[in-house]
Amino acid sequence: MGTRVELYRFGDGAADALALAQRAIEQVDDALTIHRPSAATALNEALRRGETGVIDDPLLLDALIRIDDARAMTERLFDPTVDMRRATVRWERLRFDRSAATLACDAPAALDFGGFGKGYALDRAVTALRDAGVACALLSAGESSMAVIGEHPLGGAWSFAVPDPRDADRTLVEVALIDEALSISSTLGLGLAAPERAAMVRPGRSAAVVAPRSAVVVDASGAVAEMLSTALIVADDEAAQRLQDGVRRMLFDLAPAAPTRIFA
Amino acid sequence: MTDKTFEFTRRTFLDRVLMASAGGVMATATPWAAIAARAESAGAGKVRLGVIGTGDRGRALIQNIAKTRNCTVAAICDNYAPHLAKARQWVAAGTAEFSDHRKMLEARGLDAVVIATPLHRHAQHTFDAMDAGLHVWCEKAMARTIADCGAMVERARTCGKVLQIGHQRMFHPTYLNAWRRVKAGEIGTVTQIRASWHRNNAWRRPVPADSDDRRINWRLYRESSAGLMTELATHQLQVGNWFLDAVPTRVIGSGSICFWKDGREVYDHVALIYEYAGGRKLIYTSLLNNARYGCEEQIQGSKGTIEPELGRIYQEVPPRSLALQRMQADVKRGHKRTIPIGGATWFPELPVTTPGESLGWGEYDETMLQFEGFGEAVRSGKPLPGLLQQAYNASVASLLGEQAMDRGEAVAWPTSLVTV
Ligand SMILES: NC(=O)c1ccc[n+]([C@@H]2O[C@H](COP(=O)([O-])OP(=O)(O)OC[C@H]3O[C@@H](n4cnc5c(N)ncnc54)[C@H](O)[C@@H]3O)[C@@H](O)[C@H]2O)c1
Repeated sequence: MGTRVELYRFGDGAADALALAQRAIEQVDDALTIHRPSAATALNEALRRGETGVIDDPLLLDALIRIDDARAMTERLFDPTVDMRRATVRWERLRFDRSAATLACDAPAALDFGGFGKGYALDRAVTALRDAGVACALLSAGESSMAVIGEHPLGGAWSFAVPDPRDADRTLVEVALIDEALSISSTLGLGLAAPERAAMVRPGRSAAVVAPRSAVVVDASGAVAEMLSTALIVADDEAAQRLQDGVRRMLFDLAPAAPTRIFA
Repeated sequence: MTDKTFEFTRRTFLDRVLMASAGGVMATATPWAAIAARAESAGAGKVRLGVIGTGDRGRALIQNIAKTRNCTVAAICDNYAPHLAKARQWVAAGTAEFSDHRKMLEARGLDAVVIATPLHRHAQHTFDAMDAGLHVWCEKAMARTIADCGAMVERARTCGKVLQIGHQRMFHPTYLNAWRRVKAGEIGTVTQIRASWHRNNAWRRPVPADSDDRRINWRLYRESSAGLMTELATHQLQVGNWFLDAVPTRVIGSGSICFWKDGREVYDHVALIYEYAGGRKLIYTSLLNNARYGCEEQIQGSKGTIEPELGRIYQEVPPRSLALQRMQADVKRGHKRTIPIGGATWFPELPVTTPGESLGWGEYDETMLQFEGFGEAVRSGKPLPGLLQQAYNASVASLLGEQAMDRGEAVAWPTSLVTV
């Protein structure tokens, strides 16, 4: 993975639990990476040629099913589709046949699993750790995707301070987690885009999102948290309101003109 | 450096090369260095070298040869008397001297010849030495034309002689270690090398009254040199090919006489892009009126960068793990507090100025070591594996770059090269 992954475990569990979790993360990376030959690049090649892509990698298939299932929840705002021509091809234009494990599109398209992969990898690692009997752990992928198993080793929730992207010395919010995952997405004008961050494109439009925003989402699933935080970043104000469920999902809008914090 | 510290440095470096060789990867992948590192003192059986060209480089080579365990300078030759005289102080009293290399070859008593003459003489001097039954160590670049580079390779083959070219970076401990760390995946997938050799001087030597500009400043004339390409870029193109483990597919470039409009014929400012399979690139610039960025090859991978001239390795994402590690330490001492995390913090995309870490393996005399390797090759009659291929590719790449700039168009890697 391009990101730094850190795993910390405490207490009981199999001796090789961390190795198993690491392997789980590597498997996700091997399947979804677009930086070297992988199941994902093979699928993209087929889509680019206008052919039906056969998905024979079970991890890739599982990832696509999760993304497909999350369409309504993210108001169709999380979309892994990259339009090869104009911003007209979206996930709905692809023909995804789950039982046949195929994906096809009548226009050149490609998939990019950024905005999903890190959270998904953490989910798989959490499962591996739990299966190995670990009941207390902290997992981080680049410190913008986190997951915890159980309570803090000393009891109670794990508490994290999320920095204000405009001023790393300030805390934007403190988040308490137990058996949950956290995803943080931000954008602050293209000129100041973080080195590791690609421009966010609002689905259906070709212009990159430039409004400074930061979204912090907590969910039981890292993949869901990540898809939602990505969706919140590209949502317009009404969609953002609808995405809010008032409990676990938070959006901070950092536009200088807007109120600092729309949701809390 | 005293003799004692030199011996110590030699031992520690050679041990490292040998240790790494024993590990497998270096022995099979950089066998030339492993063989050179194993060179033993030859006592009376030292390889006898005749040096043709005792100019700046030739004299430096003579001093390096003197430090080797298995080579000795048995004759020197230069057709410019003052240079021959300057070399005298570095060789044993009574060492044979010649003004004509053919006389030196006829006089016999040599096992091999070292060529440090201007570029356009390399091919002829190599042919003459090999025809006289001698092995050849020749300075880079190989020759003035791609055809002559190929002819040198062919001649070595038909004569059954060793031909070794002076690419000392292949013996440099820092480069060897950099290469090992790249192969181990430490800087991820390498897609670009940005190399430069920037100086701020005319690159012009004062011409003594008894000589002329074409002879002294041969590097500035097209007949005798491709300028920055063959004299400087060759080294870095060799490093590029070596670290990208390939030869370029094609090259595009722009050259100009931009600052030193003093009658020179070669470019004083070159900028080229060498393309490699898979979309990888070597981006090269060399110029003579700004020295801030000096000589460097920035080997850029998805996880880090290596700058071998500076001897440093840089992580792409500075480790930010401290907060999480602190959490772990806190738990051990029964302390719980909010964990500050990196989150999605951003910062302006300015150049990263983190100091990086030392690459390790330090200083060592690579020019000396390449002669110990050559000595072993001559004694066994077997060339050090891999070296000539690297040299040939580097020389071809430098001359191809010249063509691309002269023609103002992309030039594909030649299909007609000889097999090494
Ligand atoms: N590997 C390196 O780092 C490195 C560094 C510097 C130079 N070099 C190479 O060394 C070679 C020499 O460069 P230099 O800077 O020493 O040049 P130089 O002009 O100082 O030396 C060349 C010498 O060759 C002599 N010479 C010319 N024609 C001759 C002939 N027919 N017979 C005998 N002697 C003859 C000249 O009189 C001169 O003394 C070049 O190929 C150059 O690229 C390599």
